[in-house]
Amino acid sequence: MITAAELKAAEASQPIHAEPTSFWRKYVFSIDHKMIGRQFLWAGLIFLLLGGTLAMMIRWQWAFPGRKVPLLGDLFLHRTGGVIGPAEYQQLFTAHGLIMVFFAVTPVLIGAFGNFLIPLQIGARDMAFPKLNMYSFWAFALSQVLVLASFFVTLGTGGAGWTTYPPLSTSIGTPGSGQSLMVLAIFVTGVGSTMGAVNYVTTIIRLRAPGMTYLRLPLTMWGIWLTAILNALFVPVLGSAGLLLLFDRDFGTQFFIAGAAGVRGGGDPIVFQHLFWIFGHPEVYILILPAWGIVGDVLSFFARKPHHWYKGSVGAMVAVTVLSALVYGHHMFQTGMSPLLGEGFMFFTLIISVPSMIIVMNQVFTLWQGSIRFVTPMLFALGTVIVFGVGGLTGLFLGDISMDLYLHDTMFVVGHFHFTMAAGSVLGAMTGIYFWFPKMFGKQLDERLGKIHFWFTSLGLTAVFGGQLLVGWAGQQRRLYDPYQYTFIQGLHGLNTWTSMFAFTLFAGQMVFIYNFFKTIFFTAPTNVQNPWGIPTLEWTDAASPPAYHNFDRIPGVLRGPHHLSDPRVEERLERDFLGQAEPGPEGATSAVEPA
Amino acid sequence: MTRGAAQGMVSPAALRPAGASRREATAFIGMVVFLASWTMLFASLFFAYGLVRTHATAWPPADQPRLPRLLPGLNTLVAVGASLALERAGRTWRDVASHATAGWLALATVLGAAFLALQASVWRSLWGEGLRLDGGPYPSAFYALTGLHAAHVLVGLVALGALTWRAWRPAGEALERTPLRLWTMYWHFVGAVWLILYVAVYLA
Amino acid sequence: MTGRRLLAALGALAAATAHAAPLPEKGFGLPLDVSRDGHHIDSLLWFTLAAIVAIYLVVLGGMAWTFLRHGRTHRAAFSGGSRRSIGLLVGSIAVIALAVDGHLFVATMRDMNEVFWNFAEVDQRPDVVRIEVNAHQWAWVARYAGPDGRFGTEDDVITTNDIRVPVGQPVLIQLASTDVIHSFYLPNLRVKRDAVPGMINGLWFQAEQAGQYEIACAQHCGPNHYKMRGVLTVLSREAYQQWLREFSEVAVRGYDPDDQEAHWGWPWRSL
Repeated sequence: MITAAELKAAEASQPIHAEPTSFWRKYVFSIDHKMIGRQFLWAGLIFLLLGGTLAMMIRWQWAFPGRKVPLLGDLFLHRTGGVIGPAEYQQLFTAHGLIMVFFAVTPVLIGAFGNFLIPLQIGARDMAFPKLNMYSFWAFALSQVLVLASFFVTLGTGGAGWTTYPPLSTSIGTPGSGQSLMVLAIFVTGVGSTMGAVNYVTTIIRLRAPGMTYLRLPLTMWGIWLTAILNALFVPVLGSAGLLLLFDRDFGTQFFIAGAAGVRGGGDPIVFQHLFWIFGHPEVYILILPAWGIVGDVLSFFARKPHHWYKGSVGAMVAVTVLSALVYGHHMFQTGMSPLLGEGFMFFTLIISVPSMIIVMNQVFTLWQGSIRFVTPMLFALGTVIVFGVGGLTGLFLGDISMDLYLHDTMFVVGHFHFTMAAGSVLGAMTGIYFWFPKMFGKQLDERLGKIHFWFTSLGLTAVFGGQLLVGWAGQQRRLYDPYQYTFIQGLHGLNTWTSMFAFTLFAGQMVFIYNFFKTIFFTAPTNVQNPWGIPTLEWTDAASPPAYHNFDRIPGVLRGPHHLSDPRVEERLERDFLGQAEPGPEGATSAVEPA
Repeated sequence: MTRGAAQGMVSPAALRPAGASRREATAFIGMVVFLASWTMLFASLFFAYGLVRTHATAWPPADQPRLPRLLPGLNTLVAVGASLALERAGRTWRDVASHATAGWLALATVLGAAFLALQASVWRSLWGEGLRLDGGPYPSAFYALTGLHAAHVLVGLVALGALTWRAWRPAGEALERTPLRLWTMYWHFVGAVWLILYVAVYLA
Repeated sequence: MTGRRLLAALGALAAATAHAAPLPEKGFGLPLDVSRDGHHIDSLLWFTLAAIVAIYLVVLGGMAWTFLRHGRTHRAAFSGGSRRSIGLLVGSIAVIALAVDGHLFVATMRDMNEVFWNFAEVDQRPDVVRIEVNAHQWAWVARYAGPDGRFGTEDDVITTNDIRVPVGQPVLIQLASTDVIHSFYLPNLRVKRDAVPGMINGLWFQAEQAGQYEIACAQHCGPNHYKMRGVLTVLSREAYQQWLREFSEVAVRGYDPDDQEAHWGWPWRSL
C-alpha cells in the first residue's frame, strides 16, 4: 500500500523548479535530463554517420583497391592522391572501431536513452545530480573534439587498431601525437562515462517513485542500470591502461615496451591486454544490456502481452553482469597463457552463454500467443533478436580454445562482433529511437519510411556481416590492407567485393532515416499525442509528449509491473488492453503478473 | 549562536529542512559509486604493477637505488593523522560547524600538505640518486603509482582547504554536513590506497 | 661443384621458392588441411556449425509461426509465462548447454592436454625438428640448430620467410618478436600463436603431405602487416636432411662473429 505520506514526502524531496529561459541555459548548458538526453542523441548520431563513412572507405579499398576514393579522397587523402594506402588503411579501421564503440553506440544507447528515460520511467523529476549530468555531457563533447583533432595532426590519427595493443601503440610502433590524442580522447570519454554512471546508479537506487520496486522496473531500466554499474566498475580499468600507455608514449616509462627497445628487461605487453580486456569484455555487455532491455520491453508492448518470465530475464541480466569480467581471457587465448588459465576462461565463457540464451528465449517466448503489431519499432526489435541470435551463436566457436586456434584474428571474429555489437546494439538503438521519438519530440517518425529503413538496414547488415563470417571461416585474417597477397585468400575476391557492394547499399539506406529524422523534427507539426502506442509505463501514462520541464505534475504512486497488457478484466472495465503502472485498477489487477 | 544555546532550544533534526537527510543519503550513495570507480582504477594499477613485477627478473634491478622506508613510513603516520583529524572534525560538527570543527579541519589540511611535501622530498632524493622515468619498468611503476596517488591527495588537499575556510566563517554556517562527510570519505579512501601502496611498493 | 656455383644454385632455388605460389584455395570453406591433428579442430567446427544452424532454424521457425498465427487479429494471452513454458525454456537451454557447450568443453580439454599444448612431450620425441622463429616488422626469420643440435652456433641455418620441414615428423617452434606483437599462422595446418616481445611462445605441428603452404601474420603489426607472408615447404625426409646439411655448410662458411644482429637466437627453452 502506498501511503499519502510517502507521496507527499516524494513531492517534497523533488520540488518543481521553473524552466530556464535564456538560450544558453535552455539548449546548451542545460541541467535538464531530457535536454541532455537529446544532446547525446545528436552527438551520437553524427558520429554514427562518421563511423559508417569510415567503414565505407574500408570496404572501398577491398572492392576497388588502389582506386581513388570518390569525394572523400580529394577532401582527406591528399598525401596519397586520393587513394587509400596501407598507413591510411590502418587509421581507417582504428578510427572506425573506436568511434563506433565509444562515440556512436555509447552516447545513443546509454547517454541518450539513459538520460532521457531514467527519471521518466522511475517516476522522478530529474536525475540525482543534475549538474554532474551536464558536466558528463560536456566531457563527452570534449572527447569528441579530441578524436577529431587527432585526424589533423601531421602523421594522422592512431593506427594500432581499436584494441590499441602495445608495443605497436607505443611511440615505437606508432609515433606522432595522433595516437596519443586518441588515447587521451578515450580517457576523457571514460571520465564522462564514470560521471554518468554515478548519476544513473544513484538515481535508480534513490529516486524511484513510491511503489516502484525493483521488480516493477521496465526492463529498459534494468538494462541501463546494470550497464551503468559495469561502466562505473570497468571504465576505470581502461582508464588505467590508457594512462600507462600515455606514460609509455610520452614520458619514457616502460610498462608495455619489451623486446629490443626494452630497458633492463622492459615491461610486458600482455599486461595491457589484461587491463584492456578486463574492461573490454564487460564493455560488450555494456553495449548490449540496454538494447536487451529496450527490446524486451518493446516486444512485450507490441505483442500486447506481458513479458515472458520477467524475473528470469532480470536474473539472467544480473548473472551476465556478474560473470562479464570473468570471461575476458578468451580474447587472449593465443598469447601463450597457461592452458589451465585458458581452460578456466573457456569454462566461464561457456557458462555465460546460458543466461544470454535465457534472455533471448524469453524474448521469443514473449511473442508466442501475442497479438503482434508490426510497426517500425517492433520490426527493429524483432530484427535485433534475429540478428543478435547469429552473433551470439557464432560466439560459441570463439569461446572454445581449439576452434579459436584457427579462427582467432580472422574475419570470423569481425563478423561475430559485428552481428552482436553493430547489429544488436544499432538495431536496438533504432528500436529505441523510433519508439521514443514521439515522447521526445511530440510527433511520430514516418511509418512507411521507417519500414523501408528497417528492411535496408537489417538485410544489409546481415549480408555484410554474413560475408565477413564466410571469409573468416575460409581463414582470411583481419586488418589486411590487401588480402590477396596471400594465395589462400585469392579465391575470396568475389565474395569480398559483393560484401562491399552490400555495404554501400546499407549505407545508402541510412539516408532514408536521415531524411525521415530531419524532416520530422524540423518540418512536421507536432501532434503531442501523449500515448500513441498505448504503453503502460510511466513516461507514456503520466507525462506529456514531450514532457513538461518538471516531468510529472504529481509524482505517481506505482501499483504494478510494467507489462500489464491484455488483461480481460481491464478490457471489460476500461475498453482498452493495457493498464498503466500507476493507474488505479479494477479489483484484482493490482499486482505484477504471476506465472499462471 | 553558541552550541550550548542551540542545544537548549530545539532538537537538531527539526532544524534541518525536510528532505535534507534524504539528499544526504543520495549524496552518500553517489559517493560510494564514485569511490567504487576509483577503487577499480587503483586496483588495476596495482594489478599491472604486480604482473610487471612477476615478469621482471630482479626487483629492484641491481644497478638501481632501493626505495627508502623511513620517510614514507613517516608519511603513513601523517596520512593516518590527517584522517583522524577529519574524523574529529566531523564529530564536532553538530548543527553548524563549531570552532573545534574548524580547528580539526585546519590540522588535517596542514597534515595533508605535509604529506605532499614529504612525498616530494622522497622523489627528489631518488631522482638525485639516478632513478629516472626512462630507466625501465622499476622506476616506471614507482613514479606512476606514487605520482597518481599524490595527484589524488592534491585534489583532496584543495578540497580540505576550501572546507577549512568555510568552517572559519562566522558561526560556521557556511559549511554543511554533507560536503564534510563526502570529502572525509574521499580522504579516507586516498589514505587506504596509500597504505596498500606503502606495503606493496616501498616495503615489498 | 665449386662452392660458388653451389651457392648460386641454392640462391636461385631459394629465390624461386620464396615467392612461389601455393595452389590458391577455391573460395569459401575451410582451407586444405595437411596436418596430422587439424582434424580435431575441423570436426569441432562442423559439429558446432551443425548445432547452431539447427538451433537457429528451430527458433526462427517458431518465430515465423508466431508471426503468421499470432498477428494483430489474434487475441493475446494474459500470461507472463506458465510453469510449463518456463520449464520448456529452461529445459531446452539446459539440454543445449550440456550437449553443445559440454561437448566443446570436454573435447577441447582433451585436445589441449593431449595434442596442442603438450610441448614437453613433443620435445622428447626422437625425430622432432626444432625451429626458432623471430618475427619482426615485416618478415619471419627462422633459425635451425644445424648438425650440432645447439642454437646460437656457427652452423645455424637462418632463413627469411622460408621455413622447410620434413613430412611426417613433429615440428616444434619457439616464437619470439623483437618489436611488436605478431602472430604466426599456418592456415593449412590449423596452427596459430602470438609472437610477443619479451616472451617465448611455443607451438607444434606435424605435416602429413609434402608441398608448399603459406605462413601468414595474424596480428596487426603496422602498415605492412598485409605483406608479412612466408612460405612453408614440406619436403620428404631425405630432401629436408640434404637441404639442412647444405645450408648449414653455407652458414659455417659465411659466419661472421661480429655481426650482433644476426645472433638473435636463444638457448632452446623447455616449455
